[in-house]
Amino acid sequence: MNTDIETDNLVKRYGNVTAVDGVSLRVAKGEIYAFLGLNGAGKTTTIRLLLGMAKPTSGEARVLGTRIRIGERKQWDSVGYLVETADAYPELTVRENLETMRRLRPGTAPQAVDRIIERLDLGAFADRRAGTLSHGNAQRLGLAKALFHNPELVILDEPASGLDPAGIVEIRNLLTELARDQGVTVFMSSHILGEVSRLAHRIGIIHHGRLLQELDMEELDHNRRRRLLLRTTNDTAARALLVGMGFSTDITSDGTIAVKDCMAIERPDDIATRLVNAGHAPTMLYVEEENLEHYFLRLVGVEEGNAN
Amino acid sequence: MNNLAQATWVEFRKACRSKMPLFTALGFAMVPLGGGFFMIVLKDPDMARRVGLISTKAQLTMGAADWPTYLRFLTMAIGAGGIILFGLVAAWVFGREYSDRTAKDLLALPTSRSAIVLSKCVVIAVWSAALTVVICLITLCVGAALGLPPAAPQVFWQSGITIMVAVCLTISLTTPIAFAASAWRGYLPPIAVMILAMVVAQLTTAAGWGEYFPWAIPALFVQGEKLGAISYAIVVLTGIIGLAGTILWWELADQTR
Repeated sequence: MNTDIETDNLVKRYGNVTAVDGVSLRVAKGEIYAFLGLNGAGKTTTIRLLLGMAKPTSGEARVLGTRIRIGERKQWDSVGYLVETADAYPELTVRENLETMRRLRPGTAPQAVDRIIERLDLGAFADRRAGTLSHGNAQRLGLAKALFHNPELVILDEPASGLDPAGIVEIRNLLTELARDQGVTVFMSSHILGEVSRLAHRIGIIHHGRLLQELDMEELDHNRRRRLLLRTTNDTAARALLVGMGFSTDITSDGTIAVKDCMAIERPDDIATRLVNAGHAPTMLYVEEENLEHYFLRLVGVEEGNAN
Repeated sequence: MNNLAQATWVEFRKACRSKMPLFTALGFAMVPLGGGFFMIVLKDPDMARRVGLISTKAQLTMGAADWPTYLRFLTMAIGAGGIILFGLVAAWVFGREYSDRTAKDLLALPTSRSAIVLSKCVVIAVWSAALTVVICLITLCVGAALGLPPAAPQVFWQSGITIMVAVCLTISLTTPIAFAASAWRGYLPPIAVMILAMVVAQLTTAAGWGEYFPWAIPALFVQGEKLGAISYAIVVLTGIIGLAGTILWWELADQTR
């Protein structure tokens, strides 16, 4: 696999606290890789290690084929990043903030600033001081700083943070286009799991500093739980019928019958026919698929509603 | 040095677009204006008492209303006040990156972190020198406006050289302040370090060891104390250690903000 990011047993300790604990991950070229974890799971520390902002206690990281070490700058020409919050010099305008970053990236054409302002729809705010921007527009400026120099790899910490729904869709489309049309590799952490499931090619789940699982979307489809939910004109009799057919059933908190057997999930039409023939016609019948959020919470062992 | 020129442009841009140059210029302008006030008083103390410029109990031991007195006041103020004002400039130039949380944007770039630190030091030095030029010009204008009796050119040259050396010494002492701003990530810790240095400077001067304490040396220099080469070497060494420490900290330390 042609990898743009590669870590090998990466460990970072701060005193007695192990922030990152033996993380080994691979991000392929042109891939959108989502890095998921609860607050304090080690996402941002991993990103800082990848960007050379912190030294690993042990292990190593490679970005664009170059080992991250002190004084090594070769790879940063081709990397854009946004770490934690999107911050800018408040007294400079949006355009001036981008211009300062352009000058710190020698070789980037002056037109790159105008291009990214247009692409991220910042034109109306280009000459406004960054300190007066709304949170959403400050986030756009942060993304602009990460993207204006056409990087091969972008490392984004919560890129959709603070954006309204339209902004989230816009950023999703932008990142998808970058990966699809320009072959840009995207490594992003996110809390917005619905967005991740629409965007990412591959997911890494980190918890208490350990990488619990890496999987692509097909594997996620395979791994996530599905169940058949149904209600009928007579739920008690219907449940007895299903048990008689050899299915194990549960009752959900709202009284719906849940069947987890593969046979029932794959052939709900057969179940419907048997219920109708027995005089317990279904009033509701559908196959519920566990979404990424539920899958993630189940994997990290956190009950829904107690994630934070 | 990798992209030092562009990094310096960026630092100047950031400084010029802030209000800090104006505030520091206004603060430092108090020196010649305060000196001018005393020249007015010294020209006619009785008139100053009558119109209430000074209290009837005021003891006027400063000297006469002339250029040597006025310029001596200026050099003494730069020797003592320069450490505070130039230190504030250094605390702001480095500390603002942490207060504004923009330091992280400077760490994974093709421009080296050493170049960024050096460019900030260039800005501090130029900014401090510019402030000094501004107050010297104000001093000349105020002195001329007050009609101070003409003095020999040598008086001006001598004061100019004293101020220039004192400013160079004081600028050298801003690098440990830059280190404090970087290591403790903000404005306040370096200001606390600066205040501590000033207090220790007073104590060491009172104890007769001031010529060996870096932050006491510029004030002793402008007072005309005979300083040995060791005193100048201590200041230069302090500046070099501060600069090296700041560069090493930016290059090697974990950056968590």
